[in-house]
Amino acid sequence: MARFLTVAVNSLLAAGLYAEMAYGLAVIYGVMRIINLAHAGVMMLGAYLTLTLFSGLGLDPFLAFLIVGPVFLALGMGLYHAVVRRLPHGGSTPTMGSLLLLFGVWLVLQNFAYLMWSGDTQSILTGYTMKSVPVLGVRVGIPSLLVFLASGASLLFLNLLLKTTYLGKAIRAVTQNRDAAMLAGIDAEAISALAFGLGCAFAGVAGGMLATLYAFTPDFGRSFLLKSFCIIVLGGMESVTGVAAGALVLAIVENSLAVYTAIPISFQDAITFAILFLALVVLPEGLTGLFARAPRLRGAQ
Amino acid sequence: MRRAGLAAGVAVAIAALGAPLLLGRGTLNDLWNLALAVVLASSWNILGGFAGQVSLGYSVFLGIGAYTTVLLSLRGVDPFATLVPGALLAAAFSVVIGLPGFRLRGPYFTIATIGVGEAIRVAASSVSFTGGSSGVRMPAGSFEFGRNYLGMVILAIATVAIAALVRRSAFGHTLAAIRQDVDGAEALGVDATRFKLAAHALSAGLVALAGGLYAINFQYIAPGAVFDFRLSLSIVLMPIVGGIGTVVGPLLGALVVSTIQLKLLELPALRDSYLFIYGGLLIAVILFEPKGLVGLARRIVAALRTPGATPRAADAR
Repeated sequence: MARFLTVAVNSLLAAGLYAEMAYGLAVIYGVMRIINLAHAGVMMLGAYLTLTLFSGLGLDPFLAFLIVGPVFLALGMGLYHAVVRRLPHGGSTPTMGSLLLLFGVWLVLQNFAYLMWSGDTQSILTGYTMKSVPVLGVRVGIPSLLVFLASGASLLFLNLLLKTTYLGKAIRAVTQNRDAAMLAGIDAEAISALAFGLGCAFAGVAGGMLATLYAFTPDFGRSFLLKSFCIIVLGGMESVTGVAAGALVLAIVENSLAVYTAIPISFQDAITFAILFLALVVLPEGLTGLFARAPRLRGAQ
Repeated sequence: MRRAGLAAGVAVAIAALGAPLLLGRGTLNDLWNLALAVVLASSWNILGGFAGQVSLGYSVFLGIGAYTTVLLSLRGVDPFATLVPGALLAAAFSVVIGLPGFRLRGPYFTIATIGVGEAIRVAASSVSFTGGSSGVRMPAGSFEFGRNYLGMVILAIATVAIAALVRRSAFGHTLAAIRQDVDGAEALGVDATRFKLAAHALSAGLVALAGGLYAINFQYIAPGAVFDFRLSLSIVLMPIVGGIGTVVGPLLGALVVSTIQLKLLELPALRDSYLFIYGGLLIAVILFEPKGLVGLARRIVAALRTPGATPRAADAR
């Protein structure tokens, strides 16, 4: 029982972290059908900016999002206007060109960081980094708990933004049908720029939060990028609530395997990437697609 | 034009084979690296360029070849006799990845190959027969640079010849049809998955041969080196910079990228960040000349042939 509780609590906390990393990717994919390979680079820069704010100004890393968010919103919109806009808009599936282009952007960001901060390992150590509190009898680190709460708040914020504001409705309209949205008078170009900025803002904030849990280098983020892909594929690629569900599935699988099987912890990433591969092949519409398919199958019999 | 290309190719091949008689060890080392780059770029191009299936997981095949060579050599097999088993193993593994993987299209296939590559790297660092993250060493006394040089140069010549033959064959035309319109090709009765698998296996086998020669020349391999993501990246970058889907493109790309790398690695300030240049190159090629150096050259030639007419960027897309 105690073991089950440990798995449950740890899975929930990990799911919060994973969802926080993946929101940005899902927003950008939804609106532009672009797989943002630069996501990892943006998360890494978010980590460095949070560190700079923390060591330079003494700003708490969990309040840094007030600055990191707007900075990366601007950076993302700048990036959109500088390079992404020049790509041909490729219908319903991402183009190879967009993938490779953003891959190039990632490399530039990563190596910019090598030049700026060298390859030394950095970490953010606050007064509460090593403290923990009991949750359901399981000791939980305070930073993990804060990340989980922030992730819940992000989910709420994104759902409110997308469902109740004009901007959010416009983003969803462009997501569903770009041409029809433009006919209805929506400036799809401006919405795309904003969505790209929003995606980068979430990536930057997520990077700052990851930095409170893990040490980082300019190479930071690659395994998190692949985890994020795994999550948005499981989540059906578009909806933010789907992202949260996908994050939960991945976190439960990882934690259960670590506790209930003899598979060593060093294999965890290998298993995640195998799940990514399988999810892409078996569940192209994500978990929601699976549920949508189930009644149809029953009806066919 | 084609005859001129063939003549130039034969001349370069003879020069490369005869180089040990004239050049010093340092230059030959650079040429060995260039030959390796040519093998990797040209083989990747068979699947990535001809068939349009962009894989970012090719270091896996190099690693399989390298590990087969070291592990069999440690059991007393002659290093050069281990090359073929390594190639067969890599080809078999490419089918294992391809069977589920080729159900995915375009960028989804690419993402899946990143997943496979990283999974193999992590797994190889965690199991014992690969020597864990510290790697394994070839048995002593198996090093002879002259033989290694000729081996890699011959493989490079063979790979380019195979790529040229594939491009002109019915097999190559089928791959081109799959790249241009996979649904159209299948409607005409082409079993696209089988052709993709064949292209994948051929290129994986060639890369594994290079991996075996890599192990023989460096005498020491580790998962962090042979399964490195940056290696997979360089393999993709070379054909893209040179001109994806052509025979000459990967050669040009290999020449440009390996020269850049060689020069940059001499500058200590850039040792960690040479990928900066790679990223910039990738962005520039995708935005300005998606057909690479070959496309650029064709545009210049076309401009020279029709004096007065300036080529517009839009024509190249």
